Amino acid sequence: MKSSLWRGHVLPFTVLLGLLAAATLAGDYLLHRLDLVWVGRYLGIPGTLLIIGSLYYSARKRKWVSTGDPKSLLKMHEFGTWLGSLMVLIHAGIHFNAILPWLATVAMGVNVISGLVGKMLLHQSRQHVQGERERFQLRGLSKTEVEQAVFWDAVALGAMAQWRKVHIPIFIVFSVLALGHIVSIFLFWGWV
Amino acid sequence: MSRTLKLILAINLLVLAVLTFAYPHLMVGPGKLIPGHQQLDTDCFACHAALTGADSTKCVSCHMPADIGRKTTQGAPVLKPLTSTPFHQELISQDCVACHSDHAGVKRYRLQGYFDHALLKKETNNQCQTCHKSPTDALHKQITGNCAQCHTQQKWTPATFEHNKYFVLDRDHNTTCVTCHVRNDYSRYTCYGCHEHTPANIRREHIDEGIRQFDNCVECHRSADENDIKGGGKGDRGKREAD
Repeated sequence: MKSSLWRGHVLPFTVLLGLLAAATLAGDYLLHRLDLVWVGRYLGIPGTLLIIGSLYYSARKRKWVSTGDPKSLLKMHEFGTWLGSLMVLIHAGIHFNAILPWLATVAMGVNVISGLVGKMLLHQSRQHVQGERERFQLRGLSKTEVEQAVFWDAVALGAMAQWRKVHIPIFIVFSVLALGHIVSIFLFWGWV
Repeated sequence: MSRTLKLILAINLLVLAVLTFAYPHLMVGPGKLIPGHQQLDTDCFACHAALTGADSTKCVSCHMPADIGRKTTQGAPVLKPLTSTPFHQELISQDCVACHSDHAGVKRYRLQGYFDHALLKKETNNQCQTCHKSPTDALHKQITGNCAQCHTQQKWTPATFEHNKYFVLDRDHNTTCVTCHVRNDYSRYTCYGCHEHTPANIRREHIDEGIRQFDNCVECHRSADENDIKGGGKGDRGKREAD
């Protein structure tokens, strides 16, 4: 049981978070080494776009949109936010200039950790609802419909619902702070 | 999301918004301003225009181009100028932010104190001695103007000049530049500036050897060594008469 908890939950969580930290440091080091620090300055744009794009899953989950396989969209959400966060972290670099963008970076970091916790909980929920599969099959649903029904049941399970109560406010704080940073850049930077 | 949580979130974000407007230099400013502009710390729009960034027209309202390098913004003479000659007056355009950054965070990405001659007006760009003093070494003190023959406007060295490539200045030719390059015009030379080589002598010697083209001496003579003469050349230059 202990081994399963370690292998199934703690290890993937630690690896993904550790990888994010290591990739940030490596990216920052490489940009400095190759004299490409200016690239880091603009990495915030694709990073933000990736994070925004990955929110399509959230829209699908709330049924604001109806197309796309939810399982694949969740994977895209996980990967897009991880990669987008990596780009934003490299963009933030090690330079401390203003408080607002740093608060946004911290909020994003907390958001990533919260997301990884959610991923862990979802994995647990999925195992829990496997028993439901047979019930859906007996109802005569197709294989795809059974998969989707099991998936939605898993994401709606108690623990996940509780987690979402934390994850969404963190995301709102992050997005407002990031928006403040983006607006200030648009306002004061010479884009033209 | 509960109503209490929403309220707490809204209050926190509101506080941050108020702080941003009250302390913009700390909340959104990309690093400290240069010492001379620190009094503008909280007044972003003293230099910035909305959506277009730092505005040069705002810079020149205090830093008048005619006075830069000569007088301070208060009108007092500049006691320790940063450059030996004021040059802002000769720039083709007033794009201050192309060279200057005031915030510490922006300076990190820009090459500071970088000057590009291409920014100077064309008529000024060719007059090197308006800004630069000629070096006082034996070679340069004989020269006036025409710097671009050897030097580029990017760097003083490396200079492209290598006299031995054209002609070796050995013991017989260790003389002043103007002996061969009249009026310091290094695009031309003459070998008749010396009493040893007169047009009549040279003509006679070459005709005797059957050489009818001898106007470009260094095409065959690359030094004073009479055993090191390269014959032939393009066309009929330096060509001997057919037997």
